[in-house]
Amino acid sequence: MNLRDRHFWEVVAAGLLLGALGVLLSVWGNPENSGICVSCFMENAAGALGLHDNQRMQYLRPELIGFVLGAALCAAAGREFRSRGGSAPLPRLFAGIFLMVGCGVFVGCPIKLFLRLAAGDLTALSGAAGLFAGVWLAVKGLSGGVELAPQKGERGGSGFLIPLLFLLLLVFLIAQPGFVLFSERGSASQHAAWPLSLGAGVLLGGAAQRSRFCITGGMRDLFLMGLRSYSFYGLAAFVAAALLLNLGNGLFHPGMQGQPGAHTDHLWSFLGMGLVGWTSVLIGGCPFRQLVKAGEGDADAGLVVVGMLLGAALVQSWGIAATAAGVSPVGKAGVLAGFAFVAAASLLFRERG
Amino acid sequence: MPKDTLDRALFALLLLSLAALPVVLAGEDSSAGRRGGDKAMERRMAYQARVELLRRVYAPVETLRDQGRLPEALLKLDQLARQYPQEAHGHILKGEILGRMGSLDQAVASYVQGVRLNADYVDDKSPLSRRSEIEKTAEEGVRAIGADLKLYPENRSLAAALKNVNYLRSRLAGGCE
Repeated sequence: MNLRDRHFWEVVAAGLLLGALGVLLSVWGNPENSGICVSCFMENAAGALGLHDNQRMQYLRPELIGFVLGAALCAAAGREFRSRGGSAPLPRLFAGIFLMVGCGVFVGCPIKLFLRLAAGDLTALSGAAGLFAGVWLAVKGLSGGVELAPQKGERGGSGFLIPLLFLLLLVFLIAQPGFVLFSERGSASQHAAWPLSLGAGVLLGGAAQRSRFCITGGMRDLFLMGLRSYSFYGLAAFVAAALLLNLGNGLFHPGMQGQPGAHTDHLWSFLGMGLVGWTSVLIGGCPFRQLVKAGEGDADAGLVVVGMLLGAALVQSWGIAATAAGVSPVGKAGVLAGFAFVAAASLLFRERG
Repeated sequence: MPKDTLDRALFALLLLSLAALPVVLAGEDSSAGRRGGDKAMERRMAYQARVELLRRVYAPVETLRDQGRLPEALLKLDQLARQYPQEAHGHILKGEILGRMGSLDQAVASYVQGVRLNADYVDDKSPLSRRSEIEKTAEEGVRAIGADLKLYPENRSLAAALKNVNYLRSRLAGGCE
């Protein structure tokens, strides 16, 4: 660790910002422990676009739009916006779907996992163990030669498509045309004022683009480089900031029972997050990182984002999403199908000898 | 920069399409546009109609309950349950009545069935909300059922009842679900 390295402080600052805003957005109106949750927000966005009919989960979350546009602006300002892609596009699309399946079964993305832990939700411990196990498994795969095909620069500017799509979503959010649905009840009706959410999203998207902050990336680097890895300190800063703000705002309620949006099917929390960890490392980043990369012109990450949107719709429509009552048989089947997919992809993309 | 005729034609088409977009969007009062705009309102009206229908269907039960004729109210609910088997409203009313009759674990179980079918009953923003009643029952459940379970830790029905209470507490705590 080099304290004089600017990148170290960029990573720590991104972690602090994510932890702080993750808690504050809940204080400002987002659902409890879900100040930031990429999978919940994706489910909300899919509902708002009419891709599923759960009337309690329909809202175009401005944070999501902010992540992509903030990353795009920051990448453009830093001359880092580069249209690239061509690495196993369809497997990445399916990986995006299964990312949402794993998150749906756990009830939250890796960011929410740590926000839940920082609020005292001990049911998230099994998810954290699963995420670590999934990342470890993926690191073993990487060292054994599992790698998706290399990317190349792309003609035609396909890297602009996802930022443009999210710009269109911003127009929808502001203009609220009749075909975009907004929940009047349920968790999607709980939200901070949109300029605040959008501002937080842009800030986080920009910070994450500069620092390359990624939850599963931080864990992967910890396995590969130990405490020399900067990303680990970013992750630690994220958890510390969230914990301190929860304590300061009286939002720290340690326990296993009665936690918001949580269940006690620990095995399936473990497996759901295990699937997310393994998949994320294989495709080069957690759901949040995929949005940021899509914002900086990575068309492969863009396909993951499209897959996540599709997956989020399926998670709601097919009853894959877990509830406080537990995980449905369809959710369990979805996780197992996800493991089959990642195992098969690892076999097929492995370079041997 | 356009280099030949094809380039120029494509460029012109691009500009034309972009210029036409706001013109088409400005014509929001076209019949197709109006159909899109009605979606949210139609949904709101359907929900209000549903709430009214529920109030009308279950009015006899509420009258019996308010008159203190609780066993009769339960009988009426059973009749309605045959007609509307998957309707959460009946389970919620049953929970209220059983709570008044002092059957805490059964009241909790009924609330759980209702909330699982429709989470609007723990939602402050819904006209169907019974949040405060359910909250009171859940708090009482933690105290009473929790204490009983400490005395009889092997009792499976008490453990199941406490699991139900914890489900309600989790739903009341909120979260993204």
